[in-house]
Amino acid sequence: MTENRSLMQRLFEPTSLERQAPAAKAVTYALLFIWSLVVLVPLYWVFITSFKNEGDVANGPFYLPFIDFQPKSDAWRFMLLENNTLGPYLNSVVVALGSTALALLIGSLAAYALVRIRFRVKLAMVAIFLILLVAVIVSVVTFGLPWPIAVAVAVALFILALFTVGRRMKAALGNSDVEFWIISNRIMPPIVAVLPIYVMFQNLRLLDTQFALIITYTAVNLPIVVWLTRDFFAGIPLDLEESAEIDGASKLRVFFTIALPLVRSGLVATFLLILILAWNEYLLALFLTNADAQTMPVLVSAQNQTRGPQWWNMSVLIVVMIAPVVVIAALLQKHIARGLLVGAVKG
Amino acid sequence: MTVAAASVVDSTPRPGLAERFDRHAGRFMVLPAVIVLLCFAIFPLIISAYLSLSRFALAPGGFTLKFVGLLNFRKLLTGSQQYHLLGKFMPFSPFAWALVTVTALVILYVLGRYLFSGRATVFGTIGRLITAALLMAIALLFAATTFSGGVPGTMVTTLIYVIAGVSAQFLLGLGIALLCAQAIRGRNFFRVLFFVPLMVTPVGIAYTFRMLADMQKGPFAPIVQAFHVGEWSWATEAWSARLMVMVGDTWQWTPFMFIVLLAAIENQPRDQVEAARIDGANGLQIFRDITWPAIAPVAATIVLIRLIEAFKIIDLPNVLTGGGPGLATESMTLHSFIAWRTQDLGGSAAVGYMLLFVSTIVCVSFFNFVVRPARRLES
Amino acid sequence: MITKRMLAGVSALCLLGSMGVAQAAGEFDGVTVNVITQTGAIQEPLQRRAPDFEKLTGAKINVIAVPFSDLYQKVLTDWASGTNSVDVAVFAPQWMVDYIAGGYLEDLTARVENDPAIEQEDVGAFFRDFSEKYDGKVYMKTFDGDFHMMYYRKDLLEEAGLEVPKTWDDYLAVAKALHGKDMNGDGTPDFGSCIGKKRNAQSYWFVTDVVGSMTQSKGTSQGTFFNTADMTPMVDNEAFRKGLEFLKESTQYGPPDELNLDVADTRPLFASGRCALNLDWGDVGTISIDPVNSKVIGKWGAAIMPGSTQVLDWETGKLVDCDADTCPYAIDGVNHAPFAAFGGWGGGINAASDDKVKDAAFAFLSYMTQPAQSNQDVTVGATGFNPYRTSQLSYSELWKNAGMSEEEADNYLGAINASMSSPNMILDLRIPQNQRYQQVVLDEAISRFLAGEIDADATVAVVSEGWEELTDEIGRDDQLAIYKATIGAN
Repeated sequence: MTENRSLMQRLFEPTSLERQAPAAKAVTYALLFIWSLVVLVPLYWVFITSFKNEGDVANGPFYLPFIDFQPKSDAWRFMLLENNTLGPYLNSVVVALGSTALALLIGSLAAYALVRIRFRVKLAMVAIFLILLVAVIVSVVTFGLPWPIAVAVAVALFILALFTVGRRMKAALGNSDVEFWIISNRIMPPIVAVLPIYVMFQNLRLLDTQFALIITYTAVNLPIVVWLTRDFFAGIPLDLEESAEIDGASKLRVFFTIALPLVRSGLVATFLLILILAWNEYLLALFLTNADAQTMPVLVSAQNQTRGPQWWNMSVLIVVMIAPVVVIAALLQKHIARGLLVGAVKG
Repeated sequence: MTVAAASVVDSTPRPGLAERFDRHAGRFMVLPAVIVLLCFAIFPLIISAYLSLSRFALAPGGFTLKFVGLLNFRKLLTGSQQYHLLGKFMPFSPFAWALVTVTALVILYVLGRYLFSGRATVFGTIGRLITAALLMAIALLFAATTFSGGVPGTMVTTLIYVIAGVSAQFLLGLGIALLCAQAIRGRNFFRVLFFVPLMVTPVGIAYTFRMLADMQKGPFAPIVQAFHVGEWSWATEAWSARLMVMVGDTWQWTPFMFIVLLAAIENQPRDQVEAARIDGANGLQIFRDITWPAIAPVAATIVLIRLIEAFKIIDLPNVLTGGGPGLATESMTLHSFIAWRTQDLGGSAAVGYMLLFVSTIVCVSFFNFVVRPARRLES
Repeated sequence: MITKRMLAGVSALCLLGSMGVAQAAGEFDGVTVNVITQTGAIQEPLQRRAPDFEKLTGAKINVIAVPFSDLYQKVLTDWASGTNSVDVAVFAPQWMVDYIAGGYLEDLTARVENDPAIEQEDVGAFFRDFSEKYDGKVYMKTFDGDFHMMYYRKDLLEEAGLEVPKTWDDYLAVAKALHGKDMNGDGTPDFGSCIGKKRNAQSYWFVTDVVGSMTQSKGTSQGTFFNTADMTPMVDNEAFRKGLEFLKESTQYGPPDELNLDVADTRPLFASGRCALNLDWGDVGTISIDPVNSKVIGKWGAAIMPGSTQVLDWETGKLVDCDADTCPYAIDGVNHAPFAAFGGWGGGINAASDDKVKDAAFAFLSYMTQPAQSNQDVTVGATGFNPYRTSQLSYSELWKNAGMSEEEADNYLGAINASMSSPNMILDLRIPQNQRYQQVVLDEAISRFLAGEIDADATVAVVSEGWEELTDEIGRDDQLAIYKATIGAN
């Protein structure tokens, strides 16, 4: 039998365990609506700016196409047809997909190994390695020693140490320390590493190539891949892998045929996150490319000229950049939540 | 019998090439990652260290690097560039004294508790001392600049962006996630929609917000005129300029917090929640006792991820205000970038290293003292 | 009606133009020249004319464009690290010194002398004798004449009965009088003065406009940045302080966010009719006659930069009145020192390129600067090129086709001429690492001063100490020698 509920009761009491009270529901929707506006207004503004020209922008805010101002396709025509936008766009696609795939491969491989196999890295060897590295660099830069010689000597010394000192010293770093080192590389601000990387590529004649960007982005995003995938692998049960190994499969085969498929949604989430990071990266692309390998973020920034920021051109580029990522995200959105969650929970 | 004997014979492994590979498989699987990181992280780091200890100058045929020791660092910390990195110091105000004293007391208390707990180790003590030293230094810096009428330098500004920005992003993300976690329709739609800001390139966001914040021709200009604040510009005052940078940053990164926290909240133990509701617990109690412990580890981890990234902020301040007014919005990466742009490679590397020190200590401390305990909370 | 004379003139022009490149036809088949410059303006004319040049000579011109703020470093890194993927850089003459210090720029003196098609005599004296040269040798070919001018709203000044400002005090008075009036008919109050004061943009040039008009009165060779005896910065004196005061006061008559505006923002402001006075490069002229976007067609004017009736006594650091002794170049008792800020884009050649590439590169530079091409490019705002040749300063069909009325042209080109032919033009600072002096020390100090972080005395101290520190770091004697060489002081 239903009781007679007062207005206040009807507004503020939930009708069942699962549902909210009507007042609360209204507030929830209202707040979500407000945040939706916050998200949409800048995007809307960018979108309509791409249909404006200098006069429309300079003469004050015009909000509605066809009502406040006449939309013009000048910016779109210029950026898509006359300007060389296709080049940077293709560069961005190739570099983002390539580096993400490579980072996923290398990173998940390393993460799996770190979860399943026990490592012991001798502390002494790490110290000796670092000392030799510094010695090589100092000798090449300060004393002008030709680097092949310096490297050869250093390698020889290292191997020597490996078989003498290395055998004696017991103190070692374990798996979690190696993981920590890999992940901590993400903390390094790219600006610290940029110039040496530039000089390195310059010596290898690889400046302004897609390859240089791909491998640099792989290195930059590797720590995140290892961080996230490590937890996915830690979460899958051992038995499947163990039985496969007993049947004689190699570790590599187990990784590819059993482990990877089990963490599929985690991989998808990581893929999307890394793709976004690589697609939007600006600083490294600026330093390492000129014209051949220029990517979209650099092209966006280049629309700021001494004549003034060409807002309309920029807006076209931004819209063109967001579109594919939104599509991919919409298709994969189920995996994002599930995948990131699994990874992040175990930490 | 024969079958058993045969299988015994057959299962004796014969060492072949594949076998030997498999035995060392671990090393081979980790090797590519290690090599890549050595080339692109460790090697440049050492070269940058060397750069920060030298002075770069152009010379016929190339350039010269003259070793100058700690000159660049001295200039930044105690010399002519001190106002740039650390800020202009003023004598402490009473509020500043209060801040410094409270921080010192808290640190001493926590350290003392640890040392007398009987579980102290050498590494643990050293780690905690380093964290304590940095916390004290940061408190002193804030006290001497922001809270005493002095002018904050790039390090203080970067810390403001990190602390205030990440907090805002977390709280907003949590709030929206909690809203979305209610039984509402269209949750998936919101999930995709709220994810979009994350996909815009930071440079694009910077220019977008510059457009939006324009008081003369941006979309909010009529509102501003209506409130008769058209004569004032956010770009001419230090704090409003910094706020604008943080607004842009929050707009972009709140989605990240939102997505993960929403998934975590969806994953909390439903049976406990239902039991609590039946028992008559209200929303706040459910959140405090069930939801929060369930999402704490996730929350800690994503805050850490975001902290790491937040230290590197450069696009927004560079595009919105060029680092101005004065030095108000300049972050350390921007500081380093400007120095690099004008050939001061040594100074640029030195600022980069200072950033590396500070962010490493902060992030590692956060990991040890927040993330690890949060994980233990769960199990 | 086409008269015989016009026909003769046009054909003569064609003949001259083709003569310049006739000998180079097909000469550079198979040669590729990589040219780097900034995106947008400057890139536009280079890219547009590259195919024509290829048809004429067979050389392929590959134009690479990067954002302006990164151009200096990109070129430097490319040449200093030995990558040498850039053959020609179209850049600011201020950066020339750093490139020459590393031996990266090719000496063009002989080539220029042997190329009559360039018509060096037609190039403005300032650019020919100062901008393109270093230590007496030519290292760069000018495409563009850059100096600051003042722009004003003719109609507003007439209405209020005000004279065109001749001194900085006049400027402030006019700005104050007109500030707050509605200047473009939309009902909102507009601004007396618009100057780009954003940090890390162009504000440090505007300060020199004011200071230089008091510090330099005896010709370009006197200089305005340093004391030619011992390289002391000319900062701790009354002129610099007055310059700071001007900047601060003019902000009161400007847009509320003037401290965040760079020239890219003030130009559209002036063109949409919201500023009574404006300081900028020559681009404002070509932007103001744009029939599509400009609201001030027929209402604007240009003039030589305001000057000062008082100049600095270098010995005492105090300001003294202008007379025949102290201000030999004064016009009506006012000392003007037009500032060739930025110097004007020009092309330089990489000394490490192949000889054949260098020849082709020079032929391209010559092609771009020859009157047949250049005179057309300087009338179009989108190119970013402003007049620098005497022949470009007379009202011609080209200006008419660009949309400038004869009256506007007389005024605009007259102002350019007055500035360009002034013997007291200020040469931009060109010593090694000048970016650090100006961008890092001066620009930052000005920005902090305008933001209220430091007062005038502290600003003077910061700039002075900062510059002294840099000079000591780089080498005082060397810097002094180079500074004197650039301005031709003895």
